[in-house]
Amino acid sequence: MSSLREQVRNIMAIPASASKALARSLETIQPRKHGYLVVAEPVRLSKGRFHEVTGEAADLFAIVAAARMEGPVVWAGLERDVASLAPTALQTFLDPARFIVAACVSRTEILWAAEQALRSPSAACVVAELRDGPDLRESRRLQIAAEEGGSIGLALISGRACASAAETRWRCEALSESDLAWLWTLTKNRKGRLGAWRAKWIGRRNNAQGAVHLVSAAAA
Amino acid sequence: MRRVLSIWFPQLPLDRLARLGDPRLAGAFAVVCEVKRAWRLADVNEAARKSGLAPGLPLSDARAICPDLATEPADTAREEALLRSLARWADSLSPRVALDPPDGLLLDITGCAHLFGGERVMAEHAQLRLEDMRMSIRAGIADTRAAAWALARFGGRAVGIADPGCTLAALEPMPLAALNLPPQLGSELRRTGLRTIGDLHAVKPAEAARRFGFELVDLLARALGHAPDPLRFQSPSPVYAARMTLPEPVGLAEDLEGVIGKLAASVCGRLQTAQCGARHFRLTVGRVDSVEQALSIGFARPCHDPRAIIQQFSPTLETLKLEFGADRFRLSASHVEPVRIRQETLDRQTRRQDDADRIVTTLGNRLGFDRVHRFVARASHLPEREYETAEAMNCRSESEWSDTPRKRPLRLYRRPERLRVLAPGCPPKRFEWRGVAFETKRADGPERLSAEWWRDEAAATRDYWRVQTESGPRLWLLTYPARKGVGWFVAGRFP
Repeated sequence: MSSLREQVRNIMAIPASASKALARSLETIQPRKHGYLVVAEPVRLSKGRFHEVTGEAADLFAIVAAARMEGPVVWAGLERDVASLAPTALQTFLDPARFIVAACVSRTEILWAAEQALRSPSAACVVAELRDGPDLRESRRLQIAAEEGGSIGLALISGRACASAAETRWRCEALSESDLAWLWTLTKNRKGRLGAWRAKWIGRRNNAQGAVHLVSAAAA
Repeated sequence: MRRVLSIWFPQLPLDRLARLGDPRLAGAFAVVCEVKRAWRLADVNEAARKSGLAPGLPLSDARAICPDLATEPADTAREEALLRSLARWADSLSPRVALDPPDGLLLDITGCAHLFGGERVMAEHAQLRLEDMRMSIRAGIADTRAAAWALARFGGRAVGIADPGCTLAALEPMPLAALNLPPQLGSELRRTGLRTIGDLHAVKPAEAARRFGFELVDLLARALGHAPDPLRFQSPSPVYAARMTLPEPVGLAEDLEGVIGKLAASVCGRLQTAQCGARHFRLTVGRVDSVEQALSIGFARPCHDPRAIIQQFSPTLETLKLEFGADRFRLSASHVEPVRIRQETLDRQTRRQDDADRIVTTLGNRLGFDRVHRFVARASHLPEREYETAEAMNCRSESEWSDTPRKRPLRLYRRPERLRVLAPGCPPKRFEWRGVAFETKRADGPERLSAEWWRDEAAATRDYWRVQTESGPRLWLLTYPARKGVGWFVAGRFP
């Protein structure tokens, strides 16, 4: 009987640290709902998440996504990468004054800047221009930061993509048929189906936010 | 009855250097200044005076008299700053302090002297305290400003006091120079045989005015209190800073944050009353072993929120090297600007601007404010001069983007990258760039841009081609038509 009591006491006495960890894990199990950004139906990006974009026209995908939202756009990258960003062409898509460009010196700084910007609730879209994709640990941190702020995080990957906690992974290539046309391929999706779309920028003359026209959809 | 205390620092430039611990002051030393294109002695120390030097002597003569004379040019800006800080100290004697440049202070001590136990005790107190600060002084107290000024400089004593109503008696034996006359008037008076103020007072004012002008009569009337002579008191320039000295050193991050919180509350309280905010805060931490370290943070918009200050300082605290702890702290605010108070919750645009500024602040404090940019439009036809990147911190004005933007690439390479031509053409039919081969599908151009002739740099005329490659990327190819055989470059990539 006494040994049974001892067992019960052991079960009841959850150490404080463990209970805290339990509470935290419960919190992460039920993330706050932030809704989606509809780039062009059915292409949606869930807010409060972070996504990976690869391919030659990856920066365009980020800019088109940012153009469909309001609020400041934080663009963090290595100094030589962000120095080539020219605002005259940005005007086609959005107001260049919305851009806050952070020129970092190392990958750690880029990730830090992206995390800080994602935490702030106002940034519509945070773009981290990385060479190699974030690994599991880095992407998990970005994911948590995005969940806190509720904005969309985009990692532009020009090198190798790793296994990561990203919600989706896109591959974007320019199409040679016409200007401002791209092929968007969804290569990874944690909740939902994959797909490939030919997208074309229609313009923002009538619609302040600009619009994307999906020319055709093809299952990947 | 008004009472005025005049404090004169007879050797302010020398005292300034002595306070800095200049070792040359042990020997013959003089402060020199340039008068009418000649260097003359402005102030000499005791050793130099003993060897026969006096202020006003040309420097070359002085060197001949005393070959081992050490000199230093006068630094009027620093002397003025010293005088201003002395004026701040003089607040402890009377709340109404006026500067009397270049080397004096004037205090209205009406109703203040009894707090020190009398005028003489007050003046001696001031003298003692200033001597502790290694400043030599002369003081004069009288009913009028001019009389106090004269007593300090020509009284012949360390503290000269003219009792209330006895101004004339005190001034009578003084030379006319004590009236602070303009130089020309002084020499004219000397020729007429008037030596002392008493002599001048004996002359009827109407006659003196006819002979020497009204200015002289006015000066005398002011000195004797017959004409008003207002003082312009220095409005105390607010200092937004707070210091704290602890009985025991601290070193833990929470303790430091507590100290910063208290300092910030004090500074921000003052900023809030003045409806101002500061864009730059500096924390000086004094270690136990008297090493000082400084941290500074910036804000994208004037801030008077203690919490924001703590929040921005706390990540930088770990860079401090507090070996045995720190016990002296000082937080000072600079770049103080008025804060416009705005309605917080109604306007979405305002809140968004606030949030954007907060991001800039956070990023800038870690990365450096020169690394956080915004784009600003500029008027130029050259692609690389069409815009510039400005520090987001100081970027206030909304820039004017043209309504009809030119067709420009999204990525504009600051240094155009050379490509390898595989199949020639204009533009090349096939080429290799960054290790990838491209085939031209469509080309549009050339767009010929010549250099801005009003600028000195001799830049060559450029031909740009918009090239749609077979594989997708839209590139901006560049060549220089004036230079034969220079080849092709990739200047940018289109969206």
